[in-house]
Amino acid sequence: MNLRRAIFKPMLKLAMERTGHGAALGFEVTKVRRGEVEMTFPYKPEVVGNPITGVIHGGVIVSLLDTCCGTAAMTMLDRPAVTPTMDLRLDYMHPAQPYEPVYVSAKVYRDTSNVLFCRGSAWQGDPDNSIAHCVATFMKVDSPDISIASALRRRLRRLVRGAGTKSDEASR
Amino acid sequence: MTDVTQIIQNRLAVAKRASNPQAMLDLIPYSAFIGAQAKIEDDEVLYWLERRPSNIGNPSLPAIHGGVIGGFLELSASIEILYELDVSLIPKVVDFSLDYLRPGRYKTIYANCTVLRQGSKLVNVTATAWQDDVGRPIATARCHFLLA
Repeated sequence: MNLRRAIFKPMLKLAMERTGHGAALGFEVTKVRRGEVEMTFPYKPEVVGNPITGVIHGGVIVSLLDTCCGTAAMTMLDRPAVTPTMDLRLDYMHPAQPYEPVYVSAKVYRDTSNVLFCRGSAWQGDPDNSIAHCVATFMKVDSPDISIASALRRRLRRLVRGAGTKSDEASR
Repeated sequence: MTDVTQIIQNRLAVAKRASNPQAMLDLIPYSAFIGAQAKIEDDEVLYWLERRPSNIGNPSLPAIHGGVIGGFLELSASIEILYELDVSLIPKVVDFSLDYLRPGRYKTIYANCTVLRQGSKLVNVTATAWQDDVGRPIATARCHFLLA
C-alpha cells in the first residue's frame, strides 16, 4: 500500500472534523470507505431552528448531508482532483427529535467520467425511519496542487514559517 | 400553551408588527450560529452572512461551506414567509433543492427570496445568493414549507 492510500482516509476524516464549519458543528466521521461515509452529530442547542420545540434547524441537516456526500465523493478519486457540489436535493420526512444525536450516511451510487452521483440519509433511532433523504451530484475537477504530497509540503512550510514568527516574537 | 411558546409567539408578533426581519432571525438560535442577518432595503428583505472562520468549507481556497450556503438560504426562505405572510408559527420545511453556480468566496454572501405560491397549507419559495454582483448568483434554492 502506498503512502497516499494509507493516509488518505485518516486525513479526510481529520480535515472534515477539525476545520471550518465541520469543527463548528462538531460531528464525528465514523466510517470512511471507498464510496461510503458515515457520521454522527451530537445534539447542540446552538443550532436549534425552532425555539419552541428545540428541534435543530434544517440547515444543519443540509450541512451534514452535503459534507457526508461530498466526503464519499472524494473517496472515489484516483487522481488529484476536487469535487465541487453541482446540486443537492433534500426531502425532510419528519422533524428531528430534540436532544438526540443524528446519524448520517452517504453512498456514491454511480461514478462516471465527469460526475459522481450520491445518495444520503439522516436518521435518529431507526435507520429505516429517516428524518431526511438527499441526492447530490458532484463534478470531478482535476487539481494537481491538491495532491497529498503538495498539501503536506504546504503545511510543513507554514509550520516552519509559523515557528519562525513565534521565536521572533519571543526574542523581542 | 407553555410559557416558552407564549414568549416566542409574542416576540414573533412584535417583530411582525414592526416589520423587523432581524428580530425574527434573533428568535432562531441557528441564525447566530452561522451569523445570518437581515434588513429592509427598497421594500424587500436583504439577507446577508458576513465571513467568519467557522463557516469555511475548504480551508485551502478558502471557500464558504456549501452546507452553510444551503442552511443560510433555507433560513432566509423561512424568515421571508414569516415576514411576508400572515402566519404565527415557524414554517416546517418539506423539501429543499439547491444548485451551486459558483464557489462561495471567503467574503459576505447576500440573499433575497421570493414567495412564488402560497396555498392554505403549502408555500413555495425561491432564494438566490450572490457576492459581488446580484447578476452573478453563487447559488439558487427552491423550497416547500408547510404552514400547518
